[in-house]
Amino acid sequence: MVKSSFLSRLSRADWFGPLLAVLITVAIIRTFSPNFLSAFNIQTLLLAIAVNVLIAFSQMIIIAIGQMNLSVGAIGGLSAIAFAGMIEVWGVPAPYAAIAALLAGVACGVLNGVLISVTGISAFVITLATLSIYKGINLGITHAQPFYGVPESVKALGTAALIGPVPMLILPTLIAAAALWFLLARLPAGRFILAVGGNEHAASLSGISVRKVVILAHAISGLLAACAGILLVARLQIGQPSIGDDWLILSFAAPVIGGAVLAGGHVSVAATSLGVVIVALITQALVLFSIDPFLVQVVLGSLILAAVGINRLRQVRLASGRA
Amino acid sequence: MNISPIFEARGIEKVFPGVRALDGVSLSLLPGSIHALLGENGAGKSTLIKVITGVHRPTAGQLLLGGEEIHLSSTHDAIAKGIGVVHQERNLIPRFSVAENIHLEQLGGHALQPINYAELNRKARRWLEELQFDVDPATPVYELSVAKMQLVEIAKALSLQSRVLLLDEPTASLTSGETDTLFTILRRLRDNGVSLVFVSHKLEEVQEICDRVTVLRDGVNACESQPTAGLSRQDLVRLMIGRGENGGSWRKRDVAANPVALELRNVATAIGHRGIDLSVRKGEILGLYGLVGAGRTELAKAIMGRIAVTGGEVLVEGQQVRITSVADAIHRHGLGYVSEDRKTEGLVLPHSVLANAGIVIWRKLAGFLGDLSDAAVQRSVVPYLEQLEVKTPSLAQIVGNLSGGNQQKISVAKWLAAGVKVLIVDEPSVGIDIKTKAYLHDLLRDLANQGTAVVVITSDMPEMVALADRIVVMNDYRVQGEVENTGVYDTMSYAIMSLIHREEEVRAVEPA
Repeated sequence: MVKSSFLSRLSRADWFGPLLAVLITVAIIRTFSPNFLSAFNIQTLLLAIAVNVLIAFSQMIIIAIGQMNLSVGAIGGLSAIAFAGMIEVWGVPAPYAAIAALLAGVACGVLNGVLISVTGISAFVITLATLSIYKGINLGITHAQPFYGVPESVKALGTAALIGPVPMLILPTLIAAAALWFLLARLPAGRFILAVGGNEHAASLSGISVRKVVILAHAISGLLAACAGILLVARLQIGQPSIGDDWLILSFAAPVIGGAVLAGGHVSVAATSLGVVIVALITQALVLFSIDPFLVQVVLGSLILAAVGINRLRQVRLASGRA
Repeated sequence: MNISPIFEARGIEKVFPGVRALDGVSLSLLPGSIHALLGENGAGKSTLIKVITGVHRPTAGQLLLGGEEIHLSSTHDAIAKGIGVVHQERNLIPRFSVAENIHLEQLGGHALQPINYAELNRKARRWLEELQFDVDPATPVYELSVAKMQLVEIAKALSLQSRVLLLDEPTASLTSGETDTLFTILRRLRDNGVSLVFVSHKLEEVQEICDRVTVLRDGVNACESQPTAGLSRQDLVRLMIGRGENGGSWRKRDVAANPVALELRNVATAIGHRGIDLSVRKGEILGLYGLVGAGRTELAKAIMGRIAVTGGEVLVEGQQVRITSVADAIHRHGLGYVSEDRKTEGLVLPHSVLANAGIVIWRKLAGFLGDLSDAAVQRSVVPYLEQLEVKTPSLAQIVGNLSGGNQQKISVAKWLAAGVKVLIVDEPSVGIDIKTKAYLHDLLRDLANQGTAVVVITSDMPEMVALADRIVVMNDYRVQGEVENTGVYDTMSYAIMSLIHREEEVRAVEPA
């Protein structure tokens, strides 16, 4: 067997490409806009990244089992208004409201997972349906009106700094990232998730309960989406019912840019996070250069295409390297 | 013999909606023995294996392990009781390491207890060493060859302390060298007291390593757990198909006067073939033998325009040609390729028989506006489907529901309908039972007799000797040499193996 050199091993790592892209993007933007790395700009960037990484993780864990979850945004939105609503209408203390909202997210995820694994209907169809249901419940509760009664403690969390320009909101994201990495790389439960995505038949013949694994993955997805929703309430300072409406494309874009295999079995926490960073940088750059914000959508779409193309090239190279 | 069986199946019945797959089948396994399970496709072997390994629950009958009745409600149950299985299809997680695949079942008693990979690798190494299989347990399995993946699966079954180990066609994708290695391992396991069940279509192998045999036919026992000593190959065939085998169907065919249909001169390809010279005449059956990985399938794909030819000349009927796409190969030059992997490359399983058989001629039959009538397609393909005796309830039947043999016939029929001049057939009889295999051989011979040049790629030496007029031996993306087939198995296999062997001697002398 040929021992691959350090550099070629590095170039095969999922995070290597995105990291390179991040550094290059920063360097380019920096030349054109010297104040890009100002404390304020970094803070704005990190605030966006903190929430978006959670959104991306929420989809990534479903991609890991080879499915998709169209309802991530609806779950996030429902949890967000549940959080704000419980505080405003029932006077529940914020920490308890947060826990209850997270549990609501888990419940939504579990419902997705149970429906998918019991009926055997594709995740696409089930989550398309539950997307509509969760969003409908959201609008039924709020009548599309925001909850404004977000307490000062929560608002303060949304603006507090951890150190220097690094916002407090990034803390839950860092914890989630570390926990997800540990789960997927070290814990049997996480390996089972990847095993089911890699070869469902083999996993089930190895005595892994595919049903439990699917439900677990969807529960985690719901938890992460709910967490993103709650953080957004803190950041926006209101319980906005439209939270989650624009999550879907990003949720797929970041894992794909991070080299996730959509058929399942292979995702990377680090590379997915870098995928979010790339999207945030480019969005920010377009704002800085006062380019039409509608172009952001076009750029995001092009990014997905480019990422898929690059992954495909890498696969072809891997395969021919073996022949 | 007074040894009591370690495992018994008694009067197993299994009824699926509309089908009685097993109708009172029995089997008893002794410790330290290799037990052959034979039967044609559809005889019930797979169903029986699934019952024994806990995938299906029997409708009636008993399973006894060590004399006590057991009830298996899941594969997990069977594993826990020491019944392991190596399935025909690969059942590994490609991105996971060798060690992790081996220990997937026991990754940790607790789903939330961290995995100790160093410990996992150490444990895995023990089983790999037992198989004398030299691989780093941290290697991801997608980097391994098919044969090595199979060894990983056996290591996996061993790690479960299996007392009963079922191997479903373990040699189907192995070369004869790899098969020998596997057999050495199986014998060692047997000597250690493991009870092995060996499923194979290759009777030579069964006679070589099995000491007892159970034959199924149409869901019942044609024979139950008999010693193989004293059973000849003919006896086994008779048990399997209820009649004798048409032996010695090979006969000398003189094609030396025919024009050359396809010729390669000093061809090189983008993926490493060098100096490939070969030719096949009209009406000739050329065998392309080599070990798996010798580059035969890849050469076929290069001829068909799937892989770039980077040097040398390709001549079709004496004319030098440049084939850049499969469409070109089929429509302009009359070349056809029956893939070894009919399920993913040869057929569109969810489509009908008619759609599959007609797919290559749609372009030819399409009208002025690209319209296509079923009637036109039917007129073109039905004669071939009939000639090949494809058994299907209707042309609208979904191909995925037909047996392996019938699927193979359809993948041949579609090329006949396309009227190809040169047909390359890759591993024609993988997963096909003896009766269908014999038909298929007759068919390829008929085709050749009608003037088609046939190139057969196979790793099955008896098949090669039964079929080919001339055999080209490949190794390591090069042609090693060529032998005229005499139809005598022993001398032919010796000649072929020494051609492959010669390479290794040469290589040993060459500086690395």
